[in-house]
Amino acid sequence: MENPVTGSEILLESLKRENVEVVFGLPGGAVLPLYDALYSAGIRHLLVRHEQAAAFAADGYARATGKVGVCLATSGPGATNLMTGLTSALMDSIPVVALTGQVPASLIGKDGFQEADTIGISLPATKQSFAVSSAADIPAIIHRAFKTAISGRPGPVLVDLPKSVLMEKVSPQYPKDDDSQRPARSREWREEEIERAAEMIAGSQRAVLYVGGGAIHSEAWQEVIELAELTHIPVTTTLMGLGVFPSRHPLSLGMLGMHGSFATNMAICEADLLVAVGARFDDRVTGRLNGFATKARKIHIDVDPSEINKNVRADLALVGDARETLQALLAALKRLGGSVAGSGRRQWMARIEEWRREHPLTYDKSAPNMKPEYVIETLARHTDEDAIVAVDVGQHQMWAAQFYDFYQPRTWLSSSGLGAMGYGFPAAIGAQMAFPDRQVVAVVGDGGFQMTLNDLATVAQYRVPVKIAIINNRSLGMVRQWQEIFFEKRYCDIDLNFSPDFAKLAESYGIRGWRVEHRHEVSDAMREMLNDREPCLIDFWVDPTENVYPIVPPGASLAEMLVEPPRVVLQEEEVLDDLWAV
Amino acid sequence: MKWLFAIETENDLIVICRLMNTFRRKTVKPLSFAMSSSPEDYGVIFVVELPESEVEHHFNYFRRTEGVRHVTYYRHSLEAPASFVFVDVEAPSLELSQWPQLFPGSRLIFASHGKALLEVPEDYAHHAAPEGGFLPFARVKTTRGAAGAEAPGTVQ
Repeated sequence: MENPVTGSEILLESLKRENVEVVFGLPGGAVLPLYDALYSAGIRHLLVRHEQAAAFAADGYARATGKVGVCLATSGPGATNLMTGLTSALMDSIPVVALTGQVPASLIGKDGFQEADTIGISLPATKQSFAVSSAADIPAIIHRAFKTAISGRPGPVLVDLPKSVLMEKVSPQYPKDDDSQRPARSREWREEEIERAAEMIAGSQRAVLYVGGGAIHSEAWQEVIELAELTHIPVTTTLMGLGVFPSRHPLSLGMLGMHGSFATNMAICEADLLVAVGARFDDRVTGRLNGFATKARKIHIDVDPSEINKNVRADLALVGDARETLQALLAALKRLGGSVAGSGRRQWMARIEEWRREHPLTYDKSAPNMKPEYVIETLARHTDEDAIVAVDVGQHQMWAAQFYDFYQPRTWLSSSGLGAMGYGFPAAIGAQMAFPDRQVVAVVGDGGFQMTLNDLATVAQYRVPVKIAIINNRSLGMVRQWQEIFFEKRYCDIDLNFSPDFAKLAESYGIRGWRVEHRHEVSDAMREMLNDREPCLIDFWVDPTENVYPIVPPGASLAEMLVEPPRVVLQEEEVLDDLWAV
Repeated sequence: MKWLFAIETENDLIVICRLMNTFRRKTVKPLSFAMSSSPEDYGVIFVVELPESEVEHHFNYFRRTEGVRHVTYYRHSLEAPASFVFVDVEAPSLELSQWPQLFPGSRLIFASHGKALLEVPEDYAHHAAPEGGFLPFARVKTTRGAAGAEAPGTVQ
């Protein structure tokens, strides 16, 4: 039996036992005992300027490393401010443990100062929530929280800690089991189902591998590449799956769905077999459901049984860890011998190449003004292959998804399911804390950046060398695009012309910042930014009228995508003044 | 189509709250609902009207919810063999003590606040369930082992 110590000390020791390297947080009344213990605990703590950034940073850390990210907030507003970040982590299956302070146990339910029903609020935002009622329970609960966060389908877990528990002295007993970083994932398929999947693949002529974030969570990227190369089946990824398959691989189709390329979406429409790996057929991928991949049989591989037949009916479901399932599938395919790379696949790839030539993913490269796609392409040219790119949400996110080159997994951080603006910058901070020597770039919009730019102070304080590239189109660009295309140009409250001078703002925090307004300056600026060992910011003033194409209109099928602006828009000769008239 | 779900959770109200929240979000509106508790666990049983195409998703969603130990679901069965009877004594005013007499040889699976689930001898459900408060069910899937045996419940 160990000597009595406080709940705070037990908590920090428990975190150490879970190999926690860094905690992103912001102190407050209910967690004062914890911060007092943290003073000499030897766990790194990064003080953020808003708890939402703590959750996003923990998420970014988790996505970049595959380990559990940890955030910490006080009771009441501190805890409620975490919820957007936790919901985003839940939607994207990211392992995060959130520690929240709570008023002393005797005050819970009495509407005390800074009391909120954190557990109640967290229910739809987390995979699991724990209310700690005794310091003696902390070791087991923390151990279980970490295990839950990373096992099965990963997700965020919240642990609510009353101040009285943090101050309570007990003799702790720590769990002996130290395997919480090893994910436990159940398998439900039978060997004959794997054989059937192999036969379906071998018998297909126009198959497509459709790979999502689950393949990254299960670290199945080698198996995805091996499967594609063994069978000569092209690979498309979801927004979450970017990085799992190299962009420049001959079998890469890039992203599918609402802003997928023409060739990719047509391949889905014409495919006779779709093999979904760790993907959930969400609406941004499928478009109108009854028009999605109607000619294809579907094999659905997912660790979460509730994803099977949720949106699209699977002809064959393989519930299990993506990596383990693909390994079994590869073995079965190899047993089938040479027939798995059917001769029809050559014709299939030729057809896809025709679609690529017909409508390549491109933009007006001769335009004199600075196109955002050009900025992204230039960034891709200058970054290392292992550079990490964290994006916000909106047009710049889609351009990055379309035009950035991905070489390896865990290099793309995006709030994909929830689509939380403000995510990119703090997520980049989280990733940079995990990998201080790698290039980490936050590609953000001028809208999203204004939601979390207060953490410029965090970057300045700790000299976190993240690079911030603002794709500044002086508007809420994606909203403007939708209003332009689908709401007859009735631009309503998308004008961001009253933003600060971001370069000067950065300078005011002690961070180098500058603005780039001309295309010919982009390359040098990018090189200069990436060579800087300190944090720095570039404000790229891009063409504010540029839109993301292709786009699948709401309620339309992938085949009905618009590959270029609707004719009516072309004929009207868009003028900038129209945009800002509102 | 009516379905009966029986869910067993850890003895943690947070799990029950999460389930209730799931009902709301997934538009699961129980027609009949009862809950039981023991020192080790909570039990929830409910009858719900759902399209057949959705029921499997709900079963999977419930069983993957953290803190849920077991889920079993049953199909309301007027034609096919049914070996379970759901009893809701609020409809016909039956005494608790009458159940074993109405279903001799039955095994009590769950009982709480006037609602019960009984496993009855094969096909007996149809013959012995003439009253409106009895619904025959056939088990479809369970997360329990191969034996598929529901844990006997206690009357509350």
